[in-house]
Amino acid sequence: MSDGKPRLDLLQGTLDLLILRTLRLTPMHGWAISERIQQISGEVLQVNQGSLYPALHRLEHRGWIKAKWGVSELGRRARFYELTASGRKQLEVEKENWAQLTAAIGRVLESA
Amino acid sequence: MTWNDIRLRLRAAIFPARAERDLEDELAAHIEMQARKNRQSGMSEAEARRRALHQFGRTSAIQEACRDERRIGFVDTARRDIQYAFRGLLRAPAFALVVIATIGIGLGFNTAAFTIFNAYVLRPLAVADPYSLYQVHWLSRSGGHFGFSWTQYQNVRTGNPVFSDAFASRGMQVRVNGKQCFTQLVTGNYFRMLGVGAALGRTLTPDDSNAPGREPVAVLSYAAWQNLFGADAAIIGRKVLIRGYPLEVVGVAPAGFNGLGESPLDLWLPLSMYAQVADGANLFDPASAQTLQVIARLKPGVTERRARSLLNVLAPRLATGVPGRTADSSIDLESNATAVRISRQALTTLIPLLAAFAAVLVMACANVANMMLARSIARQREIGIRLSLGAARSRLIRQLLTESLVLALPGALAGFVISQLALSEGVRLVMAALPPELVEFIRIAPLDPDLRVFTFMVAAAVVSGLLFGIAPALQATRGAVVQAARGDFGHQFRPQRLRNALMLVQITACSALLISTGILLRNANRISRQDTGMQVHDVVSVEVQEKSRARVVDLLAAEPLVKTLAASTTLPFDSGFPSARIATRERDLATTSYDYVSPEFFDVLRVPLRSGRNFTHEEALAGAPVAIVSETFARRVWSGAGAIGQTLPLLPDPRSHLSQARPLRLRQARVIGVAGDVKTGFLDDQNSRMLVYFPSQPRAAGTVLLMRVNGDPETARVRIDQELSEAAPGAVDRIHRMESLAAGRAFPFRMAYWVSALLGLLALSLAISGIYGVLSFLVAQRVREIGVRIALGATPFSVVGLVAGQTIRLAGAGLVMGTLVGMGVWKLLSSAMLAVTGFDVIPFAGGAAMVMCGCMAAAIVPSMRASRLDAMSALRHD
Repeated sequence: MSDGKPRLDLLQGTLDLLILRTLRLTPMHGWAISERIQQISGEVLQVNQGSLYPALHRLEHRGWIKAKWGVSELGRRARFYELTASGRKQLEVEKENWAQLTAAIGRVLESA
Repeated sequence: MTWNDIRLRLRAAIFPARAERDLEDELAAHIEMQARKNRQSGMSEAEARRRALHQFGRTSAIQEACRDERRIGFVDTARRDIQYAFRGLLRAPAFALVVIATIGIGLGFNTAAFTIFNAYVLRPLAVADPYSLYQVHWLSRSGGHFGFSWTQYQNVRTGNPVFSDAFASRGMQVRVNGKQCFTQLVTGNYFRMLGVGAALGRTLTPDDSNAPGREPVAVLSYAAWQNLFGADAAIIGRKVLIRGYPLEVVGVAPAGFNGLGESPLDLWLPLSMYAQVADGANLFDPASAQTLQVIARLKPGVTERRARSLLNVLAPRLATGVPGRTADSSIDLESNATAVRISRQALTTLIPLLAAFAAVLVMACANVANMMLARSIARQREIGIRLSLGAARSRLIRQLLTESLVLALPGALAGFVISQLALSEGVRLVMAALPPELVEFIRIAPLDPDLRVFTFMVAAAVVSGLLFGIAPALQATRGAVVQAARGDFGHQFRPQRLRNALMLVQITACSALLISTGILLRNANRISRQDTGMQVHDVVSVEVQEKSRARVVDLLAAEPLVKTLAASTTLPFDSGFPSARIATRERDLATTSYDYVSPEFFDVLRVPLRSGRNFTHEEALAGAPVAIVSETFARRVWSGAGAIGQTLPLLPDPRSHLSQARPLRLRQARVIGVAGDVKTGFLDDQNSRMLVYFPSQPRAAGTVLLMRVNGDPETARVRIDQELSEAAPGAVDRIHRMESLAAGRAFPFRMAYWVSALLGLLALSLAISGIYGVLSFLVAQRVREIGVRIALGATPFSVVGLVAGQTIRLAGAGLVMGTLVGMGVWKLLSSAMLAVTGFDVIPFAGGAAMVMCGCMAAAIVPSMRASRLDAMSALRHD
């Protein structure tokens, strides 16, 4: 598992944001979500399966995503998640929060 | 918690297997896709798969984390607890059955009581918006309620800011096809205002009561249509004779609607038919008497408080048209949303009754709690092992409570069956116990269980499940881990205080119930045996319609079955006497009852004349200002001496509602005789002791005909009824044997003591079985100790004393407390009913003896068993 690049563990709470963002365009199953996050982040962000699936179930319970059974590329039963209307709203909220948080942290770091 | 969340949780809770399978599939799919990726990057098949599994991490931990997100862990736990409880109880079926039966009996009787309470007090009437309906009364200064005149009703109905509509009514008893019908004469807006349609034909309309005698029509209740006319669909348009007057049936009311009072109604007539069927004064005369009952609907947005204050301002205007009486009266409102309103009086009758029922349930719970305690002690080793393996105490308590609930819910089911049986049997017994001719006069509201009853039952079951489960659960899990693991609980695990408290509660409750039974029984018997001052065995009473009176009197005078014919305005035992105020010399105003009777009255009812003379025929015809007073009257007012020849000054008593129908016509009267006292009251003997008779005769309006008959009175009653209905159809309203009326007087007492006796005996048997169970268990627990005692020379007698002594001490304490409660019951009864008099030691002694014998009997078997233990084998006992 070591191919030279530094891997960062996700901050608490940011996983939800990343999942919502990933699902914005198209429904995906769990493996594809984790692959996509890794890929887009240039293999920097590593999604731990132990937190991915509980997070997916949690978001489903909150009504932000909903699950449907579909057929994977392998022709096998797989669970596809898609963003709901309230999930879309939540994504905007989380993005906003994230922007504020990073800006605040940035200001603190600058001043120091 | 969102709706989505609830949906998902429910799904997971209801189809746990499917949720699990889905989760496994989802994770398996992930691993497979990872394996494919690994393969594509050049790994061998096996290596790719191994790497994928490794990368994924611990599947079971992830599954567990996902399950936690569902947050239905408690359901899983509960499911496992319930399964475990079922397995445990199936291994002890006798225990489970006894517990279910005990709880079932306790719940059953309580549910039955609640069903009755619900039918009368809680269930809103089946009409549109029952909560805005109010009975409107005049409230006199002295606190009496009275009704409205026609003009006043019109004032209430129109042009006021409080009510949107109002109807007026008068109740009546009529016979249709020889059957008693509870009838109400109503204004034409009655059905429209209540939003009640017709099941068949039409209801009454405002047109029906526009003017006196306008439409001779009638509406039947659904039950009357079924019972009196065999559900004949061709009933519409048929004429029925009501008091000899033909009325056309225009409709049948829907099944659920029985009027607004506590007795279901059979028949509705337009109020405008009053003159035809109710022979009386013209109701529509502006100066007519205030005899209409008015029920009004509050306008939307008007609260009861606001309505009251507005009405009291409006009262003088509403009163117009009636001189004097209403001048200083205010208006009172009473909600009419349910058949019976909760009043203070109703509460004083209900609370002791409900408390008695609740006591039986509490006793059943106490019994079961004792049994659970015994069982949990038998399971100490199991509980100890679980505690020492690290089970949380709360988790074990939850397990034990689940077990209680698993027992309580079938108990509720059994209780429901028992309550239905108890109600149907109860109604049957009540009807069978009444004198047959009075059965027609008792109407019982439909006692169907509804949602409120089910809710009550389930809630009571859950509460009792917790009640009998919590204490044993707390006790059983208290053991210290180390000893518990060894199964050694002997020393610190003795829940004796709890057990004693439970036994004490049981003995107190059953002795209080049995003492109350005794009090009621003694008084019922006393009333039945009481010398009423009259002999009514061969007397038949007839109430007739005024317009047929002359004809009926002629017929009866010629009837060979009638020995003597008399008349009285009050039918003794059926209703109370009206009252008047008297002022004699300097004495203050006193109150007396009065009655108008014919000279034959004293002969027919065998009321002796102590001194003076009877009314003459001429005085009777003329209604002369002469009077015969009762002995008590003579003694109280003139100290027994010289009553004859005195003059009585009389004033009407404004508080007496009975004097409206039977008004005081004289302002003074000369006393010509003194008659023996009569006691016809049920709640209040005073009403008939101070009594003044004025002269009247059978042909005078408003009198009941009383006759002493030849031969068997019941045969005579039926014959006379038949002959009169042939010769003068519709003339007779009621015909009774006076003996039945007199017997009906003790009926409420009999009812009360049956209920109380039933509860008392149930309580006693619960206490006996409880004591027996506890002692048997204790003996089994103390086998070794008792064996040691016997080996050291204890006599059988001392062993019996050892085992039974505790019970006897508890029984003594329970009896003392039960007696105190019984004293309270006696105080309450004697304040509510004057018929309950003087302290009577027999019920107390009898109840105490029964309870003591019961406790001894329950204690004797286990203690004998203990005394016969063989010391050697007992010592070897594990």
